[in-house]
Amino acid sequence: MTHSLAVPPRLRLEVVARRSGLHPDLLRQLVALSVLEADRDVSGQLWFAPDVLVTIGRVQRLRAGLGLNYAGIAVVLDLLNRIHELETEVRRRSGPWT
Amino acid sequence: MAADFYAALGVSRDASTEEIQQAYRKLARRYHPDVNADPAAEDRFKEINEAYQVLADPETRARYDRFGPDFRQIPEDMAGQWAGAGRAGAGSGTVHFGDDAGFDFDDLFGGLFGAGAGRMPGADQEAELVLGVEDAYRGGKRRVTVSGRGGRDYDVTIPPGVTDGQRIRLPGQGGQGRGGPAGDLYLRVRIAPHPRYRLDGRDIHVVLPLAPWEAALGAGVPITTPGGEVKVRVPPGTSSGRRLRLRGEGLPNPRGTPGDLYAEARISVPAKTSRRERELFEELAAASNFDPRRTS
Repeated sequence: MTHSLAVPPRLRLEVVARRSGLHPDLLRQLVALSVLEADRDVSGQLWFAPDVLVTIGRVQRLRAGLGLNYAGIAVVLDLLNRIHELETEVRRRSGPWT
Repeated sequence: MAADFYAALGVSRDASTEEIQQAYRKLARRYHPDVNADPAAEDRFKEINEAYQVLADPETRARYDRFGPDFRQIPEDMAGQWAGAGRAGAGSGTVHFGDDAGFDFDDLFGGLFGAGAGRMPGADQEAELVLGVEDAYRGGKRRVTVSGRGGRDYDVTIPPGVTDGQRIRLPGQGGQGRGGPAGDLYLRVRIAPHPRYRLDGRDIHVVLPLAPWEAALGAGVPITTPGGEVKVRVPPGTSSGRRLRLRGEGLPNPRGTPGDLYAEARISVPAKTSRRERELFEELAAASNFDPRRTS
């Protein structure tokens, strides 16, 4: 019996565009601005991690709710991720109450 | 919704436009659903935006000041005729907006990505769920009230053996989206301190008080665990601090081996001794050459 290697699922640009409802050009632009992360294969095709859709939701909400530009959004995303890591670490270190 | 738009932004009624904008920016940053995962923050964020939409525009602000919470009900041409009629008790009563009241949260998120571009999903939210050790042990159904949207009740099924920090996901119960799906609501479990049990992951630590003779001679003593009473076999010669492991008597684990229960021996002596007890202890003291301070 042969087993295929477990490849982490990746999403093509078109799939992300369809699922998020954003134009592929806008997605390319967001990658160029490093608001979204994507890998580029040899043919130049962009590949996204599945959680990019969560990030796109954040980008949309931050832009709409606070009127941030994309550079500002990228900073906020980085900071929110760092805060999340730190909070997780603090919780881990402080341990349970009991 | 806020009873008063000025109160929603925390500004006085004679605040300047700059002050209103400053207050709005500050609050919007604090309560933005991606910055603040508290379910109540979503309502607050909407409230702040609604207040700002009205107060930022001098014309609507003037109408709001003049006609109060119902200013939207008064046609604009009519408002002109009413000008000079004085302030119509602004701030009195409560704001009540029907579904067609002209304000739509969706509008706040709309348009910025271009018309029709993007289905914006709602943000995930997180609330704390405090459980007692016994609740965490047994699991089961529990009614949970989450703030936000006027308070929501959920019947949550808690898996037995849930541990501190674990999150229970309620799909689609988070922030509202615009054209996109709602976010998820996560309940982060926090195990409340217990007077007897101390938790370490799924292991439970508990103090086991022993009489000196039980510790010296060994005994089978009952001990209360979250799962009920169990019997511990105390081996002869047990000193304080010795930990007796009861395998599998800790918190259950739905996906593997349950935790263990550690009973830590602690020898207790009677605070007051009867004459007979004293005699026996004296006899024991005379007969024994045991010295706990001498390391053997």
